[in-house]
Amino acid sequence: MSCNSCSTKTVGLAEYASPNALTWCPGCGNFGIQVALKQALVAQGVTPHQAMLCFDVGCNGNGSDKIDGYRFHGLHGRILPVAAGIACANKKLTVVAEAGDGATFGEGVNHFVHAVRGNFDITFLCHNNENYGLTKGQASATTREDVAMNSNPDGVTSTPIHPQRLALSLGATFSARIFSGDIAGMNRVFQAAIAHKGFAFVEILQNCPTYNKHTPHEWYQQRVYNINETDHDTSNRAAAVAAAEDINEKVATGILYQDPNSVPFMMRDAVRKDLGAELIDEVKTYDITPYTSRMR
Amino acid sequence: MHIQNRFVVKVSGASGQGINSVGETISKAIKETGLYSFGYREYPSLIKGGFASFQVDFSSAPLASSSDKCDMLLVLSVSAFSVYYSSVAKDGTIIHSVIGLQQSEEQQKYFSENNIKVVFVPAQQLVKEAGGHPLMVNTFLLGVLWQLLGLSFDHLIEVLKRTFAKKPEVIELNIKMLEAGKIFQNENLQPVTLGFEFHPEIVDEMIISGNQAIALGAVAAGVRAYYAYPMTPSSSILSYLAAISHETGMFVKQIEDEISVASLTVGSSFAGTRAMCGTSGGGFDLMTETVSLAAMTETPFVCVLAQRPGPATGLPTWTNAADLLLAAFAGHGEYPRVVLAASDPQSGYVLTQVAHNLADVYQIPVILLTEKQIAESHFQIKDLPPAIEIKRGLVAEDQLESLQKMDRYRSTENGVSLRWLPGQCAPTFDANSDEHLGDGSLTEDSVPAKEIFEKRMRKLEDLKKVLPDPVLHGEETADIVFVGWGSPKLAVTDAIDLYVQQGGSLKLSYLHYEYMYPVKPEKLQQLAEKAKKVVFVENNGTGQFAKLIRMESGYTPDDLLLKNDGRPFFVTEIVAYIQQSEGKEA
Ligand SMILES: Cc1ncc(C[n+]2csc(CCOP(=O)(O)OP(=O)(O)O)c2C)c(N)n1
Repeated sequence: MSCNSCSTKTVGLAEYASPNALTWCPGCGNFGIQVALKQALVAQGVTPHQAMLCFDVGCNGNGSDKIDGYRFHGLHGRILPVAAGIACANKKLTVVAEAGDGATFGEGVNHFVHAVRGNFDITFLCHNNENYGLTKGQASATTREDVAMNSNPDGVTSTPIHPQRLALSLGATFSARIFSGDIAGMNRVFQAAIAHKGFAFVEILQNCPTYNKHTPHEWYQQRVYNINETDHDTSNRAAAVAAAEDINEKVATGILYQDPNSVPFMMRDAVRKDLGAELIDEVKTYDITPYTSRMR
Repeated sequence: MHIQNRFVVKVSGASGQGINSVGETISKAIKETGLYSFGYREYPSLIKGGFASFQVDFSSAPLASSSDKCDMLLVLSVSAFSVYYSSVAKDGTIIHSVIGLQQSEEQQKYFSENNIKVVFVPAQQLVKEAGGHPLMVNTFLLGVLWQLLGLSFDHLIEVLKRTFAKKPEVIELNIKMLEAGKIFQNENLQPVTLGFEFHPEIVDEMIISGNQAIALGAVAAGVRAYYAYPMTPSSSILSYLAAISHETGMFVKQIEDEISVASLTVGSSFAGTRAMCGTSGGGFDLMTETVSLAAMTETPFVCVLAQRPGPATGLPTWTNAADLLLAAFAGHGEYPRVVLAASDPQSGYVLTQVAHNLADVYQIPVILLTEKQIAESHFQIKDLPPAIEIKRGLVAEDQLESLQKMDRYRSTENGVSLRWLPGQCAPTFDANSDEHLGDGSLTEDSVPAKEIFEKRMRKLEDLKKVLPDPVLHGEETADIVFVGWGSPKLAVTDAIDLYVQQGGSLKLSYLHYEYMYPVKPEKLQQLAEKAKKVVFVENNGTGQFAKLIRMESGYTPDDLLLKNDGRPFFVTEIVAYIQQSEGKEA
């Protein structure tokens, strides 16, 4: 099913353009994220036919029809297992999944846990704006303690989830953090994530001008730094955990951890790892007599 | 009630005593001798203790149902004795190995009133004396049983050899235990005169469970990904497919929960392979939002829903068929879907393949219902039917070039649009769970929203036209027309056969439904006009199919024969119902 015209040509940014108008709030971090994603796909030579972009439900998911590529816009909280199912069935696709912090650490936190464990070959862009944008600014699992939100007028009382601590503790083979105002940084990190073999977790510190008044664009801009310009060793998980800890004063961004020997899910599967073919190319009638003969 | 030309053996004990394997051995050896059998399992939802049984009804004629009473009961534990003593028929025999077993007054009364003999076999001691392992008590008792039945030991030994093929070191010892059992004597144990005619030509038949047949249906249909989370009675589809996965190459995965199971199934199917998942009612509840997603994105989705009694955890290891309405109405919003119901291995095998063809061609969710009674019973069958031709409904490779941007969800006459796959050089689209236009772009406008909703729903109208009518067993004009779906077919058709053989005066027929939804009431209504009485037989508490039929057609049957205690219909119960109706007629 590989396409000759796709594999020989070079892809341009214009091919990812969509005629549909963007609907995000002015100043939303999603604009920059979408630009950087297109740049990264193009730089990695992925054509829209080879790109499988999977969107959760939320403000970010409202962008599913505002970019080209094959797309799946699923249910709230559930995009990771759908993306995993796609990635297992056709390893040739470049599968990118996107979801908000509400979807990732609230509704679908179990899926995140198991997607990390499984190391499915997916790039996962988690839009962490520290609130539920699309439903008008309720608290999410990453909203900071005591911050008052829609439906939490007295402030959030539960301890927030620290996405990097969680991902790294689960054994993530790729964990990065980047700020939605840093398009060049996103482009660089997204490319590394796309090239990574396995589950590449990218937490995007996304500003939300409408509902997140606590950590606006400027707040992040003043605090983020590129850890990949320091002597940080990205193959050292403990160092990554330490570097990722601070989310208040000096906030490390870039690739925090990458396992250079990462083996993705399908390559760990005893039945499938040595079979070259894709599941999508194997649908045909199979003879069952080897099995029925044992029942006689 | 004893049924002519049938003999019923039940083996019972605690869970963990190997009851199931004794039962399996009996079924296989019965077949090898040239007789027909049906094996029915009961077991509790625990690993050690409680009570479990395996009942084998056998005959010189084909059968696929159980009697409510057995002629010979083997008992290996006290708890099994107290649960099953009353399942022994008049003039029957209980053989037990429970040292110091005390019989209650009530039990003694039952035994004397029904002329039942209770015989203790000191199996532990005899096994020890013969040099066997304590676990070989089962084999010893099997030897006792076989000798009483007067069946050939050669066949039984053959089966044992095959069962223990991977543990050759225990074969000799097991044969020795069989022989020790064979020579066991007790004045109360008299040989049984079966009087059966043997059919040596059937020794090559298969013994298969409903779940194995569904699993093989998936193999034949080209399913390349099977996802599940363990839940009785669906689990053995997962374990069987996993066991043969190195041969089939199928990607078989236990996933973290049923929401993820359904989501992976949608994902893999969307990518273009054939994927399937299986669960029971509780797991299916969790999947329903994703079923709705599959319908909205027009992604083929096939799920096996193996029923057991609910609500909630219910009776986890028992049978019923009370999730028909759950399947027919699962998920939020209104959308087309197909619900199918298996009744035995043959239909499970065929319908699994049909489910995939329908899901692919119509791009809809298809739910295949089965029940614990079908899933885990042991059926003796000649063969599975031939495989069904695969229909995928995908745009051919050489047609990709002519595709237009809006084709993916374009409105068509029968509601089915062109489908192609991610990765293909063709216009890209958005499989959007938000309401959408032809290319999947989001819309909130009233006109396109109405148009695409109606497009999807038109599939249901087309399906109603193409899905087959229910199948009639028996005569068009009958005194009683039984109507059913799922496992009641087994008991009802066996009962009708017996009734006819015995020269009963009523004319009986049975209308069997496999295509449950969209509902096809026409044939039923035609038959009902000519029938004296129409009776729905359902293994649930409220007559769900009768309700569904009434909802879609206004038709109400004359009577409902329902059962909802975790047990299947026994053939004897149906015969009793017929005899009672006969009495009323006379
Ligand atoms: C099952 C379900 N529950 C709730 C919703 C409503 N809902 C839509 S988006 C959303 C939260 C979005 O927050 P997040 O995932 O952080 O994404 P954001 O909008 O901030 O990008 C919720 C609760 C839904 N669509 N489905």
